[in-house]
Amino acid sequence: MELLLIDAVYQGEVKLDNKTLEYLKRYKSIALYAAVQFSSKLENVIKQLEQKGIKVVSSKPARTKEKYQILGCDIYHGNLNLKEDVDAYLHIGDGRFHPLALVLQQRNLKNFKEVVMYDPIAKKMSMLTLKDVEVILKKSKASLKLFLLKKNIGVILTTKPGQQQYLYSLKLKERYPDKEFYYFIDDNINSKNFENFPFIDVWVNTACPRIGLDDAVYVKEPWVNLDEALDAEKRLGEFS
Amino acid sequence: MSSYNLEIERIIRKIKEKKAKYVLLQLPDGLKPEAEKIVQEIQKNTNAISFIWLGDCFGACDIPLGLQQFQIDLIVQFGHNTFIKEFGW
Repeated sequence: MELLLIDAVYQGEVKLDNKTLEYLKRYKSIALYAAVQFSSKLENVIKQLEQKGIKVVSSKPARTKEKYQILGCDIYHGNLNLKEDVDAYLHIGDGRFHPLALVLQQRNLKNFKEVVMYDPIAKKMSMLTLKDVEVILKKSKASLKLFLLKKNIGVILTTKPGQQQYLYSLKLKERYPDKEFYYFIDDNINSKNFENFPFIDVWVNTACPRIGLDDAVYVKEPWVNLDEALDAEKRLGEFS
Repeated sequence: MSSYNLEIERIIRKIKEKKAKYVLLQLPDGLKPEAEKIVQEIQKNTNAISFIWLGDCFGACDIPLGLQQFQIDLIVQFGHNTFIKEFGW
């Protein structure tokens, strides 16, 4: 069985409007990213920014194939592979899922840099700050506290090939030998199934890290991501 | 005409080159309405039978499993490119 991936590149013009350019003039340097539909069509945007004297940098994040491309799971600053310090981030594309990754990857950094979103289809600019992920971070902090206190932990594994982290999740038992870990398998993680296992105190997500952040907000049960669970005390200390 | 380049000619070329008989089309939600046109083009230009993945398509990390029973020999996933999986996050 072979896999063919089609980027579905946007066929319209990708160019900043004057209002966005004027706004961005306040920044000396910008890190530029886009979803794959737009990441190969950024020449005009780069030229426009440079003409305004703005330095444009970018990177090839760890899981992507191309420079400038960002994935929703790029929520760790180290994974961005961005070498330069910048004044702000600019995301080109429609939707909030990908630019929110640029906010989340800054959640533990000292100085937050604004994330400006420009939608070339609607020709509309908007901004994201830590305020936009405040609820997510509050839930994450509360769940982490409970994770450290509680004994029965449900570890969620997905069958999705790119998201399967069973071997990595075994580090949990090494790190917390006094806890009991129960392993659950599913394809799409549906939190409504949690209520069938009342003996679980805290759930650990090992699939897409956005599940343990964005989706966890809508669930009453405590739910943390694997990497945060593995380093819970340190991560708790990083919350403001 | 779609706002996005669906590369239908490339898909048809690949089906012919691989002599694929059963093709699965997997699209993210925003592109799902394009499935009708893609299936029609595949039908018109090849002998392959197309299936459409009904559910989610979160990325190249999310390739459906259990397709052997349908003898799928080519998966075409739209809207994503190569995902480089790492140990841990």
